[in-house]
Amino acid sequence: MMPIWTKSGKKHAVTLLKVQDCHVLKYISKEESGGKTSKLLVGGKNASPFSKSESAMEIFKEAGVPPKQKVTMFNVTDDAIIKPGTPLYAAHFRPGQFVDVTAKTIGKGFQGVMKRWGFKGQPASHGQTKTHRRPGAISTNKAAKVYRGKKMPGKMGNIYRTSMGLKVWRINTKHDIIYVNGSVPGHTNCLVKVKDSKLPTYKDCNKNPPFPTFFADGDEELPEDLYDEEIFQFTDPSVTYT
Amino acid sequence: RVSSDGKPEKFQPPPKPVIIDKQKQREERRFLSPEFIPPRGRTDPLKFYIERKDMIQRRKVFNIPEFYVGHILAVTTADPYANEKANRFVGICIQRGGKGLGATFVLRNVIEDQGVEICYELYNPRIQAIEVLKLEKRLDDNLMYLRDALPEYSTFDVNMKPVSRLDHEEVPVNKLQVRMKPKPWSKRWERPKYNIKGIKFDLPEKKMKEAQKWSQPWLEFDMLREYDTSKIENKIWKEVSEGLKN
Repeated sequence: MMPIWTKSGKKHAVTLLKVQDCHVLKYISKEESGGKTSKLLVGGKNASPFSKSESAMEIFKEAGVPPKQKVTMFNVTDDAIIKPGTPLYAAHFRPGQFVDVTAKTIGKGFQGVMKRWGFKGQPASHGQTKTHRRPGAISTNKAAKVYRGKKMPGKMGNIYRTSMGLKVWRINTKHDIIYVNGSVPGHTNCLVKVKDSKLPTYKDCNKNPPFPTFFADGDEELPEDLYDEEIFQFTDPSVTYT
Repeated sequence: RVSSDGKPEKFQPPPKPVIIDKQKQREERRFLSPEFIPPRGRTDPLKFYIERKDMIQRRKVFNIPEFYVGHILAVTTADPYANEKANRFVGICIQRGGKGLGATFVLRNVIEDQGVEICYELYNPRIQAIEVLKLEKRLDDNLMYLRDALPEYSTFDVNMKPVSRLDHEEVPVNKLQVRMKPKPWSKRWERPKYNIKGIKFDLPEKKMKEAQKWSQPWLEFDMLREYDTSKIENKIWKEVSEGLKN
């Protein structure tokens, strides 16, 4: 994570996400998948073939791509289908877009009710016998049972969670890095899924994104760094107010 | 003169003069700002490389002088609510923290009997100028104990003129022993964990001995805590100096 300053002098914290060897693996049509839209399988970050099962290796062999550590599905409209085997780059996103980031949260193991659900616990003194971090009452008398989904101690973390509506501030096309506003679930160097935001406020925010994706062997030649309009670039002189 | 052999003495050339090349000595002394050195961790080195590129870019446009803890600096920041839209603060640098673009330094001064500490970010674009008014290193890396010292040690004239200094000389070390206000202090500075050499402790011997109970003499031999930065520093120094030359 890094600080970033806007032209008005405000500071924002930014997470760096690297797009490492992403390829489109497979196209699943609407009828095959049984959903409302067709799907595209995308894989990221090369891994060794020795730890993959035979059925998983089949998909990679068909696409002609080295085996990947993480495979995700994206719902795609019919006009945005990409041929399996095309590489995907960070330039697929542009600064000023809004993005949802999904990842597995840091696993905390078996945790008590105070850390897992934020219960207040009991006082440390004034006669409390062996009760300082316990949940207390778990149901009422009339219910005569414990409801399903009652918050209790258990394994915390290591589940998929999404941070929604994160602004993309900057893109580095040379090293394929996306600068995303705020924090993102997961530990450092963990694998992450980045999608266009589905929030209704950002429906019209994508102005002319590269459609269906950014092709490296195409005619477009992008500069090494793409900045949002509001970012203070370090080549400019210091910010002044008039 | 006749030598022992009876032959004329052989011409002995005068001893060669030893030339101490001062330029070479100057080049050997090089300063790498501590925020360039990456902390120990599992982060990808690519992240530090990209951060360093940004930092070098900022340093090309705006000059950040070499300074240590104990220097007296004057910082002008752009402020939309000030009279002339610029704010100047003079103070002694008590602490330099943070790595990468978020590096900070804290300046302390006593203005009209009120101690003021301001934490500035080195790479904040609102900073217009950083001037070094007086160069002097102190015996410690962290001068937070000035909060519990007598206020005269933290007062500096706001309109101080920059003290002229010969370039390419060693930064002078001020071996000042600071006198403290009566206890209680904000931290127990006499304990060996803070390793302070710049205070004149007027405490009785008994208290100093009791403070040594908290010493951890095994810490300096702990191999897991070792972080040898010499090779990393050399690499980064070359990178930074090449980036700044362009």
